[in-house]
Amino acid sequence: MDTKFFLYFSEILGKVVRDHQNRRIGYLCDIAMKVNGEIYPKASSLIIKRGIFRRRFSQVDWEQVSDIGDFIKLKTAIHQIAYQKQRPKYDFNLCLDILDQQIVDIDNRKVVRVNDVHMLRVDNHLYLAHVDVGTRGLVRRLGWTKWVDAIVRIFSPHSAFLSQEDFISWKNTQVLNLGRVKNVLRLDVARQRLAQIPAIDLADIMKDLDKFEKVHLFQSLDAALQQKVFADLSNSLQTELIEQLDVKEAVTLLENIPSDEAADLLLRLPKRRTKQLMKLVGTKTSKKLSKLLGFSKNSAGGLMTTEYLSLPHNALVKDALQKIKENTQLAGNVYNIYIIDEQNHLLGIAALRNFINADPETPLLSTCVPHKIFVRTSDGVEQVAVLLEKYKFSVIPVLNEEDILQGVITGDDVMEELISLAWSKYKEKL
Amino acid sequence: MSWRDQKFVRNIFIFLAVMGPGIITASVGNNSAGIATYSLAGAHFGYSLVWSFIPMTLALIVAQEMSARMAVATGKGLADLIRENFGVKFTFYLMLLLFIVNLICLMAEFSGLAASLEIFHINKYISVPIAALLVWLLVVKGSYKLVERIFLIISFFYLSYIISGFISHPDWKSAFHQMVAPEFNLNLESTVMIVGMIGTTITPWMQFYLQSTIVEKKISADEYKHVRLDVIVGCVVACIVAFFIVVACAATLFKAGVRVETVKDAALALKPLAGEYASWLFAFGLFNAAIFAVSILPLSTAYCICEGMGWEEGIDKNLHEAPQFFGLFTAMIVIAAGVVLLPNFPLLKMMYFSQVGNGIVLPLILIFMYWLVNNPDIMGEFVNSRTFNVVTLLTICIMIGLTAMMLVFALLGFG
Repeated sequence: MDTKFFLYFSEILGKVVRDHQNRRIGYLCDIAMKVNGEIYPKASSLIIKRGIFRRRFSQVDWEQVSDIGDFIKLKTAIHQIAYQKQRPKYDFNLCLDILDQQIVDIDNRKVVRVNDVHMLRVDNHLYLAHVDVGTRGLVRRLGWTKWVDAIVRIFSPHSAFLSQEDFISWKNTQVLNLGRVKNVLRLDVARQRLAQIPAIDLADIMKDLDKFEKVHLFQSLDAALQQKVFADLSNSLQTELIEQLDVKEAVTLLENIPSDEAADLLLRLPKRRTKQLMKLVGTKTSKKLSKLLGFSKNSAGGLMTTEYLSLPHNALVKDALQKIKENTQLAGNVYNIYIIDEQNHLLGIAALRNFINADPETPLLSTCVPHKIFVRTSDGVEQVAVLLEKYKFSVIPVLNEEDILQGVITGDDVMEELISLAWSKYKEKL
Repeated sequence: MSWRDQKFVRNIFIFLAVMGPGIITASVGNNSAGIATYSLAGAHFGYSLVWSFIPMTLALIVAQEMSARMAVATGKGLADLIRENFGVKFTFYLMLLLFIVNLICLMAEFSGLAASLEIFHINKYISVPIAALLVWLLVVKGSYKLVERIFLIISFFYLSYIISGFISHPDWKSAFHQMVAPEFNLNLESTVMIVGMIGTTITPWMQFYLQSTIVEKKISADEYKHVRLDVIVGCVVACIVAFFIVVACAATLFKAGVRVETVKDAALALKPLAGEYASWLFAFGLFNAAIFAVSILPLSTAYCICEGMGWEEGIDKNLHEAPQFFGLFTAMIVIAAGVVLLPNFPLLKMMYFSQVGNGIVLPLILIFMYWLVNNPDIMGEFVNSRTFNVVTLLTICIMIGLTAMMLVFALLGFG
């Protein structure tokens, strides 16, 4: 047995497998790997193929391997090997799931294609150490290493190509394709590794993946990171993702992002999917969403969010302070409190800067500015922008025709809309 | 109006947004080599071959629809899928073959471009370098949206053939009669012509190109029906355009008994028979088709090779991010344009060679597509239905048979 510590998967793939008396069993067509929570997966069985027209497969435990040389020698005898028609499928196969597939290179934050697999050999056990994504790997797979090396040596004897391997350590990769049928690699290790990548970079990586891989990568993130990454995705990617996710996951996501964003997203989805999701979101979220969905996208109604603070008409200043303290985590604006009656008619707007120094026992309504500035649900985005600018407000309430408070619009929401309008006009000019 | 009531309007808008890949790909199937074949078919055989457009349209739709479906179901290009399912060795040699075949096709397109502009008295030493530079700049400096828009506009110009078809006052009655109730009068010469027509209409690179562009557009599964419409409309329109080319030539050249050998001859011969405008329109259409193919062929080749080899790709990337992509694209244009400018280059021989190459690659690719599109692990709910499989297999067999015939003819030296 030679003392080579590392070998390439491409070197042993297709090798003839023989039993202890050197009788031919077939050739190696794949290796099933086992992930034991260790960093490097270990080869657990060989998958052997025989025949061209009448193909038969068999699987042999890795412990049965006695030597790997010109051929793979097993400890068992040929009659102990059972053949079957179907290729045995495992959770994690080198050929099916790694070789030639796309993986995420976590260090460099990009998607790469695997040309070869570099394996560590210890006491006849094989461990997956690196994946090869370089040109040398490609040439080796084609079987041209000798020729290409010779030619390169003639022209440039010290070329980096001759010595430089383009490896990625297994611990710095994330497999994507396994997500299509099964979920073996969704380990905490992978989750921690992915959590080190900033959300914006993850969103960037997701752009380069196909739709199944996207979903798989997204699902392996934890809930908080999912929301962050989701916010950084483009509109079309958000739509694509929400369509691909399980209904349950999609609903959780919808409930945890700001309601105006959720409503925009639902508007872009096919009607069937929107209905399905609306049925399942919590009643509170669904009430907010269905209200928002009733308005056209560019009207105040479509822009507004239903996340705002409100108090009844008899509230005192101390109630208002308490309300703000309780809601510091609110996604929306917390500097204004809307005073409403039982039917949600807007009575006044109490601004934090006006009541923060007032006596805690005074009625909140008395601190309000007398004039009421608001927009109607049907007003356009330009009108909202003009009012916000005119009164130097950061947020403005939205009323329907009966003066009932529907929601609020923040300056950010308007900016976003105006920027996208301006951008599309700019692009048309190009 | 609430968001619920806009279904019809919404559908139209979705179609407009999704539209493009199918129409562009099918139109570019009528490249200058295609137009040459159709004009000769009309000039030599009159209306007697127009029936072949019906099975041809069907075969084109079947092949293109599978590509579109794979794009929507997997979100991956055809070269990606071949790499992942058949391994790197196979992919590499297939890509090498495709590169050579497409390069030769590109040479043919550049010479078509030169020929069309020579009708307008523009020297090829001026027209070819300028066209090559323009195409290179468009793709390297432009964005995907811009490129697609320009391509859609070019597709529209194919209508010039329909107009020149009408100007030539064809005998509609006998044209349609030949279409629905043909008198099959097959001899060696006409069979070679039919094989040539199909060979130039359905090409391997179209399958790759269509699938990649649909993937790049990020079209979702729910929009698939619009994509299919796009593909079908594209195939039908492309075949109608081809039909008009045959008809225009049949009504004039065939009727007058003019024997033409090249498409340039055909355009010039139209002048005394159908008037100056018809001749100009014909030449303009040829120029349009050539410049279209000249832009798309290198682009499609660069796309699928980079996909298969795992290199960065895409028009929206920059030179630094995707060096192989832009390198391949540039190399193809430079080589093909350079070769066309060489005096005494044996272009006709090369074109036979490219037909042979296409003939080898197309059946292979159709078989892989058939295998992929029937694999539920890859396609999910989009897997081929049984009826569709029968149609597909039939198409594949006919295509293989025809391309095998084409190979034999090309090797024997018929054209």
